Amino acid sequence: MSRDGTGISSPDRRDVLKRGASLAGAVALPGGVISNAIAATSTTLVIAAPATPQSLDWNFDVSLGTFEAIAALYDNLLEFKKIPDPKQPGASREDIADHPDMPAGIAVQGKLAESFELDPAGKFIRFQLRQGIKSNWGNELTAEDVKWTWDRKFGLGAIGAFFLSTLGLENKEGVKVEGKYTVTINLDHPNPLLAKLQPNLYAPIIDSTKCKQESTTDDPWARKFLENNSAGFGPYRLNQLQRGQQAVFKAREDYYRGKPAMDTVIFREVPTSATRASLLQGGAVDIAQYLQPLEIIKLRSERGVAVDSVNASFMIWLELNAQIEPFGNPKVRKAMNFAFPQEQVLKTVFQGLASPLNGCMPNIYPGFTDKFWTYKYDPEMAKALLKEAGLSSGFKTSIAYNAGDPVQEPIAILYQTALRNIGVELELKKIPPATFYNAVSERKQPIIFYVDSPWCPDVGYSMTLYFNSKSFVNYSNYKNDDVDALIRDTARTNDQAKRLTMMTNAQQTVMSEAPWVFIAYPGYHMTRRANLKGFTYYTSNNIRFQDFSREA
Amino acid sequence: MLLRYIARRILYVIPQLFGIILVSFLLVKLIPGDPAVMMLGPTASEQSLAALRDKMGYSKPLWQQFTYYIGAAVHGDFGSSWQTTRPVTEDLLQRFPATLELVTFGLLAAIAIGFPLGVAAARLQSGPVHKFAGYYRLVAGAIPDFWLALVLIFVFYTRLGWSAPPLGRIDMAVAPPKTITGSLVIDSLIVGDVGALSSSFGHLVLPVLTLGIVNAGPILKMTQITMTRAFSSEFVRYAEMFGLPRRVVLRQAVRAALPAVVTIISVLYGFLIGGAVLVEIVFSWGGAGQYAVQGVLNADVNPVLGFVVFSAVLSLIIYLVVDLIYFALDPRTRG
Amino acid sequence: MSSVARSGLVPPTVPRAPKGSEARFQRLRFFFAILRARPSFAVGYGIVATVAIIALLAPWLAPYGPVTADPSVYLLPPGGNHLLGTDGTGMDIFSRVLFAPRIDLAIAIVGTFVSATIGGGLGALVGYYEGQQTWRRAVSTMVMRSADVLQAFPVFVFAIALVAVFGQSVKSIILAVAFVNTPIYLRLMRIQVRSIRQLRYVEAAYVAGASDLAILRRHVIPNSIAPLVAQLSVNIGWSVLLTAGLSFVGAGVVAPTPEWGSMVAMGFQNVVTGQWWPSVFPGIALCITVVGFGLVGESLEVLLDPERRHVLSGSLR
Repeated sequence: MSRDGTGISSPDRRDVLKRGASLAGAVALPGGVISNAIAATSTTLVIAAPATPQSLDWNFDVSLGTFEAIAALYDNLLEFKKIPDPKQPGASREDIADHPDMPAGIAVQGKLAESFELDPAGKFIRFQLRQGIKSNWGNELTAEDVKWTWDRKFGLGAIGAFFLSTLGLENKEGVKVEGKYTVTINLDHPNPLLAKLQPNLYAPIIDSTKCKQESTTDDPWARKFLENNSAGFGPYRLNQLQRGQQAVFKAREDYYRGKPAMDTVIFREVPTSATRASLLQGGAVDIAQYLQPLEIIKLRSERGVAVDSVNASFMIWLELNAQIEPFGNPKVRKAMNFAFPQEQVLKTVFQGLASPLNGCMPNIYPGFTDKFWTYKYDPEMAKALLKEAGLSSGFKTSIAYNAGDPVQEPIAILYQTALRNIGVELELKKIPPATFYNAVSERKQPIIFYVDSPWCPDVGYSMTLYFNSKSFVNYSNYKNDDVDALIRDTARTNDQAKRLTMMTNAQQTVMSEAPWVFIAYPGYHMTRRANLKGFTYYTSNNIRFQDFSREA
Repeated sequence: MLLRYIARRILYVIPQLFGIILVSFLLVKLIPGDPAVMMLGPTASEQSLAALRDKMGYSKPLWQQFTYYIGAAVHGDFGSSWQTTRPVTEDLLQRFPATLELVTFGLLAAIAIGFPLGVAAARLQSGPVHKFAGYYRLVAGAIPDFWLALVLIFVFYTRLGWSAPPLGRIDMAVAPPKTITGSLVIDSLIVGDVGALSSSFGHLVLPVLTLGIVNAGPILKMTQITMTRAFSSEFVRYAEMFGLPRRVVLRQAVRAALPAVVTIISVLYGFLIGGAVLVEIVFSWGGAGQYAVQGVLNADVNPVLGFVVFSAVLSLIIYLVVDLIYFALDPRTRG
Repeated sequence: MSSVARSGLVPPTVPRAPKGSEARFQRLRFFFAILRARPSFAVGYGIVATVAIIALLAPWLAPYGPVTADPSVYLLPPGGNHLLGTDGTGMDIFSRVLFAPRIDLAIAIVGTFVSATIGGGLGALVGYYEGQQTWRRAVSTMVMRSADVLQAFPVFVFAIALVAVFGQSVKSIILAVAFVNTPIYLRLMRIQVRSIRQLRYVEAAYVAGASDLAILRRHVIPNSIAPLVAQLSVNIGWSVLLTAGLSFVGAGVVAPTPEWGSMVAMGFQNVVTGQWWPSVFPGIALCITVVGFGLVGESLEVLLDPERRHVLSGSLR
């Protein structure tokens, strides 16, 4: 890209060197073994990410790098249909709206499954698998794979257990193999998510044949194997994984939907967002993930770089730990919201790229309502509420933030200054990124940041995650019996209209009790080279390498 | 006789190593953080956590854990890192060549800057060169290396676009050469891979420049001091009086000054193995220091211990080599 | 007064200084003469004095509060109301740069003094007792070997580990600085003491029956201390760099405490997007301060070494 602004694009020295070098070179495997030379850089996708995948066993790992890997290595039974994105031309997204006229009431279609049959009462779902689908180890997809995958959830618990309880699946006999390519999931009670949960990033199907070969008496579920390898039916296979450095994925020639356009994917760990942005700007990478708002804005004006901004399921908020005083008192929690300079934060920290979090679930999901949003920056109101709670002289507390997320520290600093005005002293605690999630789940901090998105685009699912008092992910320790009851009933009926009403009531209660300090919907901003096409937004907020191709 | 000296030195080194491992073990054990939780994640049951702790030996008394660690370490097993899930030995063997390449070339750059300046400053006791050397020494020692790295990146990459991107040791699309010495530049040279050579060299420029500029100071100072002393020493004055050519006199003086300079270089080398961390971090170099820092910050205990032991051993080897060089350079120390 | 002084035995190498205010005045004049001859020394003292004054008077000198975030003025370039611009949360960089020496200097000075006291004390004992009875020599050897072990540690990683163990606070950074520097003073003092204790007048004091401690206190230590004082100044500068490095990595002071290294770290992300001032200015301030302490250290080296002082004063005439 020429920098003289004449509008004429001339290959700069770096490009020529790179192309020349790549024509001569190849991607090396550990141990110095050289594989076949890559034909040209146009079919290599280079991604700069904050971290490489940790464990590839999605039953236990929720790290960012793992999300991206799983999407490429594994496939699901069903997927959402795609529609063009209403906000960003050129981008697509999943169609997650309610479609009462379609089977299952949502726009899903078969992926690994050729067809499916959903019980109108919501008590079972039957899948007819496609025939002749091979895994990256050459084994054919059969109903046995589906059964084994679900049995593994029973066997290992952890994230699998979450899926089981979300569906109300209580024992493994519920998953029945009815033929070589036919399998059903049967429930004791109706559940509205039988079909909706299938496209979930963490509900893909494993190649059980390979895993059974790799399992041992000590390790019957092939945990050790799946930590560092993949055994799935997805479009890519894992070529190399050097944690802390990079992961390399190679497209599968025998993928049942045809080989993806991007033959090689290099997923490189670059811890600093500034460096990731530089690399994208300079053309060394095709995609730079998780950049800061200022960097995104600057890249918008760079030639050769494009930014796709779409509405997303991400939310960022502060957990107010209801079990640590004074946050057991809803009045104090409301005061914390009135004292939060939301507009300022959106303007300075997010540079206008985010929208205000005015509800307690993603605003793109059917069932969301913002009509219970009553908060705004009002220090006087905050002070009055504190007085009502008996804390007119203020109090001391602390906020823990993730050192690896560049927006959190500035938000904490801004909040600190704002809280000083109402007599609340806020101490800042920086936590290293690798241990941050542990700090969240330990629930020992009075205030802690959390960035998350419920992946399943369902109102009941979103609400139960954070506000069901028994939910593991309810890090604010919020407990309200009415909300619990509403959530429980919503999970047990297939009547979507009824569910929407119940969850609207639940949102009303939750918003008035303010278990969180509501910050923002950060949106999803894809920063990429301009000639890269195919970006599709998924509610799991990750990219899928198989979507991309390069403009000629 | 030489062998006996080496043997004696190695014997001497063993209790030191033991001390180093002991102190770091105790220190690292004090770092808060439960490794079992880190490895299994927060969704793990109390049972599996307890089982893992048992297996890793964390429930045993401290001295037992230490004996176990030493026993394993002697066999080259330093445990695993919960972040990379790989054995620490493997991780370190992968990353140490990166650090060593960076530090070696950085030190060479520092010598290239500091040594000639020091000699010149000693030769010309006044004048602009002398003044410049004086200022350089001061300022170079005062610059924070991470800040200088940042400024260099900003100027040469962001603004001018001259240098390679500050990411790692080689361009992502370029295949690294076969591993012979571990140094990408040297290996590319040996193998004759021009693409890899130019790419790895290009990536070395900025970090090496940073390290070179910042660390030239002590070399400059020591060179200047010892050269000044050498120039005013009797044998040099004698040689000058005799009318020996300038160059010969210079060479004699340099030879006399060398031992002290070599000492300071070795001290710097030992220091930089752990001290180049910040530069490694800024340039995403993938070196061992960066690995150790990640370990400390994330309560990943084994990498830190492994790194400390490795770098201590390296330092001790360097000191031994330096002492041997002393033998060769300075006849007075022999016998 | 010790029996040694009363007996009239005078250490030969320490020049007799005149007593009283007359002497002080003379010393002061001498000092300023040196400064005039060596302007770089003057610059050093000037910098250190300025930084110290800034640290003390920061609340009155700074136009804004050091931790007051004002998002309406975030990332303003230098000029106008904000001399050095503002950072990402709207905090004024000039004010923060002025407040930073409080933390940086406090940590560096306290840490260095602790290490000098402990290291120097131990070094004196070790250097003194090394030539004596067996058990004392064994202890001395052990102390020296421990110092070897401590110095074989990669400094930076060691410092981070210490902060990780004791938690992120000013106290633990001071501890880390002290730990890392103690071996230096130990060695310095030991070398000095070893050479001083050979001198005749020390022998004489010993023969005259003065206790070990008294000898150390009155004769050995005062005459060994010169290089340590010079080293102190340089060390303070180096400790500021260490603190900055620790903060950069995230193991230093707690945000948003104004501290030069932490400011460089916070502004690091902005440099690439073109806002260079949040990182560059603190770095420059850091540089200047460390240079100042380095110059002072150099000057002390000359002034406290009688030989070099004589050479220097000779060149003045």
